Amino acid sequence: MNNTENVQKVIELLKKKISRQAAISFGVCVHCGMCTDTCHYYAATKDPKMAPAYKVDQLRKLYKYYIDWTGRIVPGWVGAKPLKDDKDLDMLMDALYGSCTMCRRCTLNCPMGVDTAMLVRIGRSLLTSVGKAPQGVKDVCKAQYETGNQMAVTKEDYLETIEWLSEELQTATGDRGAKIPIDKKNANVVYTINPREVKYAPLSLLAAARIFYAAGENWTMTSEGWDNTNFGLFAGDDVLGALMGKRQFDKVYELGGRKLVVSECGHGFRATKWEAPNWAKMDLKFPIESFLETMTRYIKEGRIRLNSSVNKESVTYHDPCNLARSSGITEEPRFLLRQSVMDYREMYPNRADNWCCSGGGGAMSMSEYTPRRLEVAKMKAEQLKATGAQIVVTACHNCVDALSDLIKYYKLNMNVKVVSELVSEAMIIEKRIPLKVVAAEEIIRGSGERILVIDDEPDIVTYLTTLFEDHGYKTLSAFSVDEAMNKILSEHPDMITLDILMPGKTGIKLYHELRSKKELLNIPVIIITGINPVDYPQIDFRKFIYERSLPHPEGFIEKPVNKEQLLITVGKIFAHKQTAVKDA
Amino acid sequence: MGSGSILRFMENEAQIVALSVMALVYALKLRWIFKKNLVKEITPAKGDPQKGARLSLLSIAMPWTMESMLKHPLRYFEFVIFHLGVTAAIAASFIIPYAPKLFTIESVMYLFQGITGFAFIAGAVRLIKRSIMPDLRLISSMDDYFSLIVLDVWLLTAFFGIPNKDYTALISFFIMTAFFLIFVPFSKISHYLYYPFARVYFGRHFGRRGVYPKVGEKNMEAAK
Ligand code: SF4
Ligand code: SF4
Repeated sequence: MNNTENVQKVIELLKKKISRQAAISFGVCVHCGMCTDTCHYYAATKDPKMAPAYKVDQLRKLYKYYIDWTGRIVPGWVGAKPLKDDKDLDMLMDALYGSCTMCRRCTLNCPMGVDTAMLVRIGRSLLTSVGKAPQGVKDVCKAQYETGNQMAVTKEDYLETIEWLSEELQTATGDRGAKIPIDKKNANVVYTINPREVKYAPLSLLAAARIFYAAGENWTMTSEGWDNTNFGLFAGDDVLGALMGKRQFDKVYELGGRKLVVSECGHGFRATKWEAPNWAKMDLKFPIESFLETMTRYIKEGRIRLNSSVNKESVTYHDPCNLARSSGITEEPRFLLRQSVMDYREMYPNRADNWCCSGGGGAMSMSEYTPRRLEVAKMKAEQLKATGAQIVVTACHNCVDALSDLIKYYKLNMNVKVVSELVSEAMIIEKRIPLKVVAAEEIIRGSGERILVIDDEPDIVTYLTTLFEDHGYKTLSAFSVDEAMNKILSEHPDMITLDILMPGKTGIKLYHELRSKKELLNIPVIIITGINPVDYPQIDFRKFIYERSLPHPEGFIEKPVNKEQLLITVGKIFAHKQTAVKDA
Repeated sequence: MGSGSILRFMENEAQIVALSVMALVYALKLRWIFKKNLVKEITPAKGDPQKGARLSLLSIAMPWTMESMLKHPLRYFEFVIFHLGVTAAIAASFIIPYAPKLFTIESVMYLFQGITGFAFIAGAVRLIKRSIMPDLRLISSMDDYFSLIVLDVWLLTAFFGIPNKDYTALISFFIMTAFFLIFVPFSKISHYLYYPFARVYFGRHFGRRGVYPKVGEKNMEAAK
């Protein structure tokens, strides 16, 4: 599409997109500036161009020029301006995609009632319609349209992970009959998840399974329509938004499920419960609940019991914006944490006034804006630091990623977890087998598979090779990318663990080569990195894979390595491989 | 036409004509807005949308419910004084022609003068801030400046007109008032027309989702 076509399309769509609420929000802003320092982009940078009103004015001036009365008669007077070319669209993209997480903090702080985030979404929808969106956002939308989930996890991989987690559940509970049901008819609860849970964070899914098991719930997961995330919300794409919701809703109807429970995902819950029924025009006959509400209910009904003395570390809670400011969920996680941990500390401000993690609105997949995202995460970092807590808990996998990034960037000494992990840890089941011990020592045993450990630090190589060998794997090692490539070609390892930062060629280059050569494409890779973006802004793995639309690695582990998380990821990957070989 | 009849005309017929123009433009504006599709939420409510709407409408009088107002008490104070002044000046434009005796009571007259006088000062402070603060300058249009200037001049004419004695002051006040009634619907000052709708939509939306009224009174202490 050329310049003029893009511009025309955007103008036409703008005229169609204006609802009554939007027209009022466009018209009522008095440019009082009260919202300015409530936005983390402004608060952290003091850059006037980061003020919410300024950002939205980039769209408002088009509204005034093409739609508003006064603007059409005396444009210069009210700041109305026409849309000229693609350059204008790029600037709009920078303001609406690159400088806003749609967190709605400014919305709640506007004395006039302007819903800035809603206007930002309208602007994004115009940009998306002409392909003006960050590459990462486009990739995720494409994956959701084509595969039904944002990480393009295949049905086989997904089902194998669930089956494998069922075996973990059996070991964890000591009950051979325990399993994660798939497509069970007439269940009380149909549970949908964030694809990150099957791909990188199976511990959180296992935690949920343990909780359902302990509560004696009649529940099921689904073979299709299992992704509760929804990039239609971030891209302003109502069609995708409706589709992602409908896939879940249809499955609940098909199975005769009584309730849809959405796992810990901020935007996933907001989109599924509040937005998708509007987009899909579906008046649902079943309720939708956040897993936080479900767990709270189980405790109140006495279906699960917790022993908070198990979790001794100090814990604080970060409110995901989409739960606190768009879904009214603030008290359930606090109730759960007070029951699950010994030392709970509130952060200030909190609940609907909490600062955004800086990774909302799809920002985690917009690698071109990573430096800005990390800079404005300052507000969150200061807030976290002031609590002095050892663990920050949240109820969103997107926030987990953003918080992990900012913790590294601001060198805070903290870990990140989701609520269900701590609840599961604290849960009293008759024969209590702590999740960590089970995961590390009992379940994960290899059967001689060969893992190539690539890292330039000899201590790390020794640690990882010893850990793998102690758990039944064989190992190879390489200390540079060139050495690694030779070993890969000569030894054909079954799996690779790859460090990113190495002298000479980086791990990113090697990953690119692995994913570009047909014969190497199927070797699973786990990235193990402790790289701090402050020190190496030029080495951004996320940006690299999004820019080239490369597939995600099979695992991603932050240093210092969490032994259980690593072993469980390795075990999961080999379980998949075995099934694939059997099937073949 | 003598000066007395000019003043009478400005106080009566001119105001009625100006008011009618304003009402007509507002009616057209509202018709245009109400033709737009109202987005409705399908999901059953978690909170109370009606309570949300009620509280949202009152939120301007409850600065403790908004971090932005709590953090900037001076700006909030300017806002209150300025808008009280506007209300007093509007009231004066009716009192002078229709209930002039009220301003013969000295305390009432001084009260109105005090309010409009302080409002003028608040308006001037707002204008200076808009002109010098980079983040406010960047978002300000000509309309933002001009509306503030004429409103402030109008407050000043009200201040001098309220004693209902000086012909020049009175005629200036009523000329400004008539100009205003016609100008307002085309300027940012018409925000007050949208304001109740904006607050009600906001309150219903967030009230329905259980977000508003907000929970957690301690937030506000931390925000101070
Ligand atoms: S969005 Fe609201 S707070 Fe921000 S400048 Fe406009 S009216 Fe003021
Ligand atoms: S929605 Fe959040 S990020 Fe966007 S302008 Fe408002 S406060 Fe800033």
